[in-house]
Amino acid sequence: MTWSATARGAHQPDNTAFTQQRLPAWQPLLSASIALPLFFCAGLAFIGLGLGLFYSSYGIKELEYDYTGNPGTGNCSACALADQDRAPPLRCSCAWYFSLPELFPGPVYLYYELTNFYQNNRRYSVSRDDTQLSGLPSALLHPANECAPYQRRASGLPIAPCGAIANSLFNDSFSLWHQRQPGGPYVEVPLDRTGIAWWTDCHVKFRNPPLVNGSLALAFQGTAPPPNWPRPVYELSPDPNNTGFINQDFVVWMRTAALPTFRKLYARIRQGNYSTGLPRGTYLVNITYNYPVRAFGGHKLIVFSNISWMGGKNPFLGIAYLVVGSLCILMGFVMLVVYIRYQDQNDEDEDAE
Amino acid sequence: TLCMAYKHLTSKEYEEIDRRLFEARTALQQREEKLAHVFQFIEKDLILLGATAVEDRLQDRVRETIEALRMAGIKVWVLTGDKHETAVSVSLSCGHFHRTMNILELVNQKSDGECAEQLRQLARRIKEDHVIQHGLVVDGTSLSLALREHEKLFMEVCRNCSAVLCCRMAPLQKAKVIRLIKISPEKPITLAVGDGANDVSMIQEAHVGIGIMGKEGRQAARNSDYAIARFKFLSKLLFVHGHFYYIRIATLVQYFFYKNVCFITPQFLYQFYCLFSQQTLYDSVYLTLYNICFTSLPILIYSLLEQHIDPHVLQSKPTLYRDISKNRQLSIKTFLYWTILGFSHAFIFFFGSYFLIGKDISLLGNGQMFGNWTFGTLVFTVMVITVTVKMALETHFWTWINHLVTWGSIIFYFIFSLFYGGILWPFLGSQNMYFVFIQLLSSGSAWFAIILMVVTCLFLDIVKKVFDRQLHPTNTEKAQLTET
Repeated sequence: MTWSATARGAHQPDNTAFTQQRLPAWQPLLSASIALPLFFCAGLAFIGLGLGLFYSSYGIKELEYDYTGNPGTGNCSACALADQDRAPPLRCSCAWYFSLPELFPGPVYLYYELTNFYQNNRRYSVSRDDTQLSGLPSALLHPANECAPYQRRASGLPIAPCGAIANSLFNDSFSLWHQRQPGGPYVEVPLDRTGIAWWTDCHVKFRNPPLVNGSLALAFQGTAPPPNWPRPVYELSPDPNNTGFINQDFVVWMRTAALPTFRKLYARIRQGNYSTGLPRGTYLVNITYNYPVRAFGGHKLIVFSNISWMGGKNPFLGIAYLVVGSLCILMGFVMLVVYIRYQDQNDEDEDAE
Repeated sequence: TLCMAYKHLTSKEYEEIDRRLFEARTALQQREEKLAHVFQFIEKDLILLGATAVEDRLQDRVRETIEALRMAGIKVWVLTGDKHETAVSVSLSCGHFHRTMNILELVNQKSDGECAEQLRQLARRIKEDHVIQHGLVVDGTSLSLALREHEKLFMEVCRNCSAVLCCRMAPLQKAKVIRLIKISPEKPITLAVGDGANDVSMIQEAHVGIGIMGKEGRQAARNSDYAIARFKFLSKLLFVHGHFYYIRIATLVQYFFYKNVCFITPQFLYQFYCLFSQQTLYDSVYLTLYNICFTSLPILIYSLLEQHIDPHVLQSKPTLYRDISKNRQLSIKTFLYWTILGFSHAFIFFFGSYFLIGKDISLLGNGQMFGNWTFGTLVFTVMVITVTVKMALETHFWTWINHLVTWGSIIFYFIFSLFYGGILWPFLGSQNMYFVFIQLLSSGSAWFAIILMVVTCLFLDIVKKVFDRQLHPTNTEKAQLTET
């Protein structure tokens, strides 16, 4: 068997830069001389950012009140007393009085906060039918199986909207009253109940089924409201643009929260005299207490907050940037010391040779 | 070996020789003796011209290759079927044995007891003299005696010799020696190089079998794992290709575990906050595509193209091979480093996002709230960016393809998420992710959080790398410095 060194062709591999791994390449080395200025720059930038973010969050004001009504904690305990196993008496209301010593800068946002409520539980969060909520008439009368046991009523009628998330809709309501002078009358502060849910949720994802003879009630004919709802879905609000599946409170509730302690936007205060904020004076929040949370050890809170470009009040981001920035600079100094020492040692070694 | 001689013949002498030869050839009895007699008569008083010999030349650069193998910390044993003297002289000429080495011999042992006694003597001699290097010569019969009863003693002697030569080996004995080394306590990795049909069993037995396509045919090459044309190619095969592939595969394995630890640990942590109800943190499409689309290409291209040191440097400095000996890059220590890094990154991703949300404050400028899918997508985004940038930190050889896949993966993730969340998919039952990604990106806080978490995760890693390179650079790192 002869070994032929001259036969070229089929078995010889290609001699291109790619197949012979000769591609031109950049070969950076992460050495101290690159890392040091990088660390100092990053550290300074982060400290600057951290200060800015912290200051931004510092300027945000928040005011909250726990109105669960545990015994001995204020007015709402009367409503909550009956709450242990059943829903509280219908239309029980309680009041919260507070006074603002100075202007609460606006625009002010009103949230309700629930604790120990696991909207992120898997069985709960799959219990919905997005096809039904998108207004498809066929899905309206045939809700998905994931909604069980909130799929059909005992009478056999399909539930619209189906599912456990819809069934547990938050139904407390608040109204805000302002007393300009002590002893004077209380004036209602207008609460803007629109613009609280994502625009795409209200206008694209959730759609009412097509009107029948111009009536939304007829569109929902043949369905029943969820068991815990006092009124059917088309009567959620007197405003025809904000009722049915596209009711903003409903849409806000259907966006399940990530953690067991969560807030949802209830209203914006931005009309008339109150567009720049809540002026000083005494205020009254009239709470209609419907939602039972004491049965599972939860709490209900009402929160006033103003919002900056980065959202609500959370100093975490500012503090985290400051910490990481200072660590960067600290490490930069340590590296500088080591680098200088190493250079000296290197020079000594070279001199010794 | 032949010797050449000549003699002038006159025509009378020639006729005499011719007649005698004819008689001897045509004799009816004792033809061989008569012929031998005549040839004896002819071949007298010749004048010597010289001797010819055939040299079975060693291939080109065998000496340098064996020297390089020794510098790399690889122990070289020669197993041959030649006889003792030939084998020893070939060993000396190819650099396997030095002139300065002390050659110990275990040859011509006739009995078990004799063999044992000789082995003990050799062991003692090795123990006495530490400074000088020892070489051992064993022949086939002595080897089989030694292996029958005194394996441990024999391996002990072999281990302390820097070069071993086994002569008069039958093909199966070669395989047996390799088996013996494979099961010895340190469990070394064995590589067998051969060029003939008698090397086939040895090539198949060793961990890596290399056949040299040579004059003795293609049997060895056909049965080997790798076939090369010349012995000298072994140095490039091991020190360049072998070294590259080891680095590539070791990093591939470690990185895969790391990125999957980063992927699943936040899911696990989330269970503590959702009543252990197995709610996923990320959308199911993200779960599916993470390993396939978003993080697969950078590591694939790394494991095809990475060259941590220039090939010429690698070939000229065989000692660099010691940096990867004993499977160093897949050792427990390295694995623990990558896994703990993965866990710490996962904790930073999850708890960074968790504390960002705090008591569920709004992260948007219009006061609206995020849901659980936005939270999960935030964690996922930080994760994809961090593991890709970690891969970028590990890469040392940036071709245009590396740039394309690394930055392209991140860009693809963004584009895919925008596309996936921008449409109401008709065939999907639940529209959980509709517009979630775009809402996430429109939050200034989320962007700052992403930058912060990516930097925090990689910050410690960068510090570690820089300190290691400054304070105790490995030979590899020093070699990387010399070429720049």
